[in-house]
Amino acid sequence: MRRRRRFPWLSYLLVGVGAVVTVVPFLDMLLTSFKGAGEYGRLPYRFLPEAFELSNYREAFVRLDLPLLFRNSVVATAVITGSVLLTSSLAGYALAKLRFPGRDLIFRLVLATMMFPPFVFFIPHFLILVHWPLAGGNGLLGDGGAGLTVSLAALVMPFLVSGFGIFLMRQFIVSVPDEMLEAARIDGAGEFTVWWRIVVPQTKPVAVTLALLTFVSAWNEYIWALLVSTANPRLMTLPVGIQTLQSYLDPNRMVPVMMAGLMLSVLPVLLLFLLLQKYYIRGVMLSGLK
Amino acid sequence: MATTVGSADEDGGGGRGSTDAALCGDEDGGREGVRAAGSRARAAAHRRRRRQTVVAYLFLTPSLFFFAVFLVLPLLFAVLLSLSRWAGFDLADIRPVGTDNFAALFARGSSFLTPVLSNTLLYALGTVVLALSGAVLVAHCITNLRFQGLWRTLYFLPIVTTVVAVGNVWKYMYEPGGLVNGVLNALGLRSAAFLQDPATALPSIVVVQAWASLGSAILVLTAGLKAIPRSYYEAAELDGAGQFTVFARITLPLLRPSLLFVCVTQFITGLQSFALIIVMTGEGGPGDATNVAALEMYQRAFKYGDWGSASAAALVLFVLILVITLVQLWLFRRKGEDA
Repeated sequence: MRRRRRFPWLSYLLVGVGAVVTVVPFLDMLLTSFKGAGEYGRLPYRFLPEAFELSNYREAFVRLDLPLLFRNSVVATAVITGSVLLTSSLAGYALAKLRFPGRDLIFRLVLATMMFPPFVFFIPHFLILVHWPLAGGNGLLGDGGAGLTVSLAALVMPFLVSGFGIFLMRQFIVSVPDEMLEAARIDGAGEFTVWWRIVVPQTKPVAVTLALLTFVSAWNEYIWALLVSTANPRLMTLPVGIQTLQSYLDPNRMVPVMMAGLMLSVLPVLLLFLLLQKYYIRGVMLSGLK
Repeated sequence: MATTVGSADEDGGGGRGSTDAALCGDEDGGREGVRAAGSRARAAAHRRRRRQTVVAYLFLTPSLFFFAVFLVLPLLFAVLLSLSRWAGFDLADIRPVGTDNFAALFARGSSFLTPVLSNTLLYALGTVVLALSGAVLVAHCITNLRFQGLWRTLYFLPIVTTVVAVGNVWKYMYEPGGLVNGVLNALGLRSAAFLQDPATALPSIVVVQAWASLGSAILVLTAGLKAIPRSYYEAAELDGAGQFTVFARITLPLLRPSLLFVCVTQFITGLQSFALIIVMTGEGGPGDATNVAALEMYQRAFKYGDWGSASAAALVLFVLILVITLVQLWLFRRKGEDA
């Protein structure tokens, strides 16, 4: 952008200071994770650790069942991302390219789903999972057992379909030329084949965007995971598990261990974001939210 | 002829099918042929439409099932619960109590209006003011700099980070031995008990929420800035307008749609958020100093098992957000008429 630049230094100063404020907490998390026993909390405050110790990472592995936490986080994130991609693509294709009675009504319903704040659903979702029929020892009417709260299903169920995902896919699929679909149909392809062979390959860029947005929010989900793991500790995910560290008595000892655990939970997403940021940023621009 | 009707069959669009048939009829030169082909094509188109309806609903089944079970049913359930007293897990124990739960929320001496709802509004408002003013400045200044993508990426980091990380890092930075107090001490100032002092606890968390939402606000505003025609700036330059005049008279007014959008979405996000507060203060303390409506709902339900009043609190907040969303839509529509 060619503009009058009378005060470029002012811009550099402002943006630079802001960037430091944004990045420093991450650096503090990283550096604190290397601080030795008794070093955190000592006054005066020192930004850098005296020696880079790995003992906090070892301690995190001892205190937490990290393999279980990782497994739960990975499985839940993978299932949610896969399901959102699949259902959004199928529904998006139907809403964009097929003609059927009720289409406009369903599309409006999909738009409306984006308006409901998630906290309205915490209580009913929890109760629905507890009373899910014929699961976890429940009878046909959903009584008697623990329902789906005994299984990993509890972590993923409320997130398997995304109204925003359907909307995003539909908007993109509308622009796939009708002639391509027609050509396939004339060759005798059914609608499922048309979707799989023509539409899915055409929608790859938007699928990457949607996958990344879904991955990040599923990996970082906290409140719902906290709820279901309160009912069943075997369902703890990384964020929930690491948060349990704070209940240990000596905070000055525990803080560096916690930062080590947080580094482990944050790194996968940060790396993925740095690799694929252009898709993520496009998604945020498209959704305008978050 | 057969092939043409066949292609009409594949076509499915009723209108186009009959046009094809009519064209064939003209080639045949007989009206009988037109009518026969037309009705055959119509029947085929009808069959095809019906097949497409079945396929479409098959494609939509997973999503519709999901919306029925996890959206419609829960909404009805939430309304039912808000009108009942229920403390257990046995569905047979639900006792209808009318609007008692709502009355209790707004009763004299209830903490729901103050400080819980007032905290909620202050939290949302504070976040919006901080994030929006910061984002306007940064987004505007970034356009003067090199490596714009790099800057935006830096500002974006908090958004892809779990609230547990954001909350804990800041919580410990606010502690006596943490970074923020370290900086204060280095400047010769006394340490502050940011999260332990009822006067500073809420503002301290507002800062973190604003810090975390700066990146997406910058992104939306950048898109808005890029949409402003360069010729406006060139004209202003010819007229000899200073940088601040240009910013106040051209940039800000033309950025109004993006500003409004960020403002309203951030405000709604602020009204809903409570995960950060849970992570940083546990229960909205000290006292009720950082308690907000969504957290109050969460605690009533999952700590005290009072599903009825928790659902009532959730619905009150929901209605508040709905009203604000409608005002937003109204504002956007008015803006559209202006432009």
